[in-house]
Amino acid sequence: MPGDHRRIRGPEESQPPQLYAADEEEAPAARDPTRLRPVYARAGLLSQAKGSAYLEAGGTKVLCAVSGPRQAEGGERGGGPAGAGGEAPAALRGRLLCDFRRAPFAGRRRRAPPGGGEERELALALQEALEPAVRLGRYPRAQLEVSALLLEDGGSALAAALTAAALALADAGVEMYDLVVGCGLSRAPGPAPTWLLDPTRLEEERAAAGLTVALMPVLNQVAGLLGSGEGGPTESWAEAVRLGLEGCQRLYPVLQQCLVRAARRRDAAAPL
Amino acid sequence: MASVALSEAEKVYIVHGVQPLKITVLKEDLRVDGRGCEDYRCVDVETDVVSNTSGSARVKLGHTDILVGVKAEMGTPKLEKPNEGYLEFFVDCSANATPEFEGRGGDDLGTEIANTLYRIFNNKSSVDLKSLCISPREHCWILYVDVLLLECGGNLFDAISIAVKAALFNTRIPRVRVLEDEEGSKDIELSDDPYDCIRLSVENVPCIVTLCKIGYRHVVDATLQEEACSLASLLVSVTSKGVVTCMRKVGKGSLDPESIFEMMETGKRVGKVLHTSLQNILHKEESLGTKRQKVGFLG
Repeated sequence: MPGDHRRIRGPEESQPPQLYAADEEEAPAARDPTRLRPVYARAGLLSQAKGSAYLEAGGTKVLCAVSGPRQAEGGERGGGPAGAGGEAPAALRGRLLCDFRRAPFAGRRRRAPPGGGEERELALALQEALEPAVRLGRYPRAQLEVSALLLEDGGSALAAALTAAALALADAGVEMYDLVVGCGLSRAPGPAPTWLLDPTRLEEERAAAGLTVALMPVLNQVAGLLGSGEGGPTESWAEAVRLGLEGCQRLYPVLQQCLVRAARRRDAAAPL
Repeated sequence: MASVALSEAEKVYIVHGVQPLKITVLKEDLRVDGRGCEDYRCVDVETDVVSNTSGSARVKLGHTDILVGVKAEMGTPKLEKPNEGYLEFFVDCSANATPEFEGRGGDDLGTEIANTLYRIFNNKSSVDLKSLCISPREHCWILYVDVLLLECGGNLFDAISIAVKAALFNTRIPRVRVLEDEEGSKDIELSDDPYDCIRLSVENVPCIVTLCKIGYRHVVDATLQEEACSLASLLVSVTSKGVVTCMRKVGKGSLDPESIFEMMETGKRVGKVLHTSLQNILHKEESLGTKRQKVGFLG
């Protein structure tokens, strides 16, 4: 997809017809602010990747693949300083390279593959949330590549990508301290807004603020946090973080079952 | 970020200064340079340093040196928001800051900072974008905010947000009028008086406060050495009224949920103080007018 010169792209100014249509979308229906959409998760489905996972939550579909560990490129950094906390020196620690991509048909408007700043930002958020969980000190001079592909954006895409990436890493057999579970939240505009857990695409578009939390459930440590918008005072954000962490804990048993099933499947398929 | 070589002993020294050894003893609020956990280093702010821009500012925070230039140009508004202008951020990490930024080395950090700036301004109340509109759907003001990192001495995000706020305060956008012909064709007229301009209100522009977790306490405005000792930091973007517009966890480590709540409160407290001092300084500098002594790059 990158640098694709042979495909004929649409004209520069092409726009979807919805922009000119009358604004007839109804407001999203009122719902229980703490409801989580039912999740379908499956690990170990790609044959070419070391580990893979597919996650579906409502309309959001994410596919994630992990490859590696392989030799780190640019290894000429020399002996860097020892990391904080007495870990292996920076040059000896493994690296986690994350890539986040949106399929061109994932959202309402077609977005050409080099998605620009947003994909880089989400890839960095993925990396920052997964690094606390992976034991990179056990993969010296190696790099692990995680690539997440968003097939359809139905709300809380980053949270779904985080969860899928953690499942894929676990499926690949990478040594980890704990799984990382992600949860999205959004706050509707208006006089007395509440934070909604696991928003749909419609709720996210109309939101005044959005937040994604990533939690390591067993250790009860927040691995990642990314939020922006008019969230209001700190108490409101604190309430949102608490709601998100609770949502992550509720999601954990589903992921455990998914990994157990994948392990059984692998066991059954392996030749005796 | 620039790396610094620290020995284990130096790390232990920094960590023990920040957090008390025994919990029953009074808290030792002491960092290597004598500051408390919530104190900033001395900040130097100067606006109007570059003459070709619509507004500019230079901020020195310890060893961190940032130069921001704002240029206002006319363009077409975005399709989804036809009545508003917008801001575009670009961050350049110059190779002078640290040798790691030579060539394309500083690009990653530059895009990370630019994305964070987009995020903190991504709400209705930070900057009044409707005042940047000239004629709906056709013309609007686009403010190109270009940040130049001249020297890297730790705590980049805070210094950059202070510089951006000061530069936006200093920005002067020329007043334009739209004249309509009988045939309906529009003409844009710039006023002749070079001092006739509109100023932006920076009341609600947020500032970033980075709280680094060292041991089990957190510090504000960390130096390079302190950043090397910290595994995780929380970046909070606060306005002068205490409203938080952005929150982000940075770093390789994880944070305890309780410490996140504490850090948010500290960030809000420190942010409010930072805003009041910055507003005072900017108004004082403005009131000096032509009598002001320009320090520029030699001071």
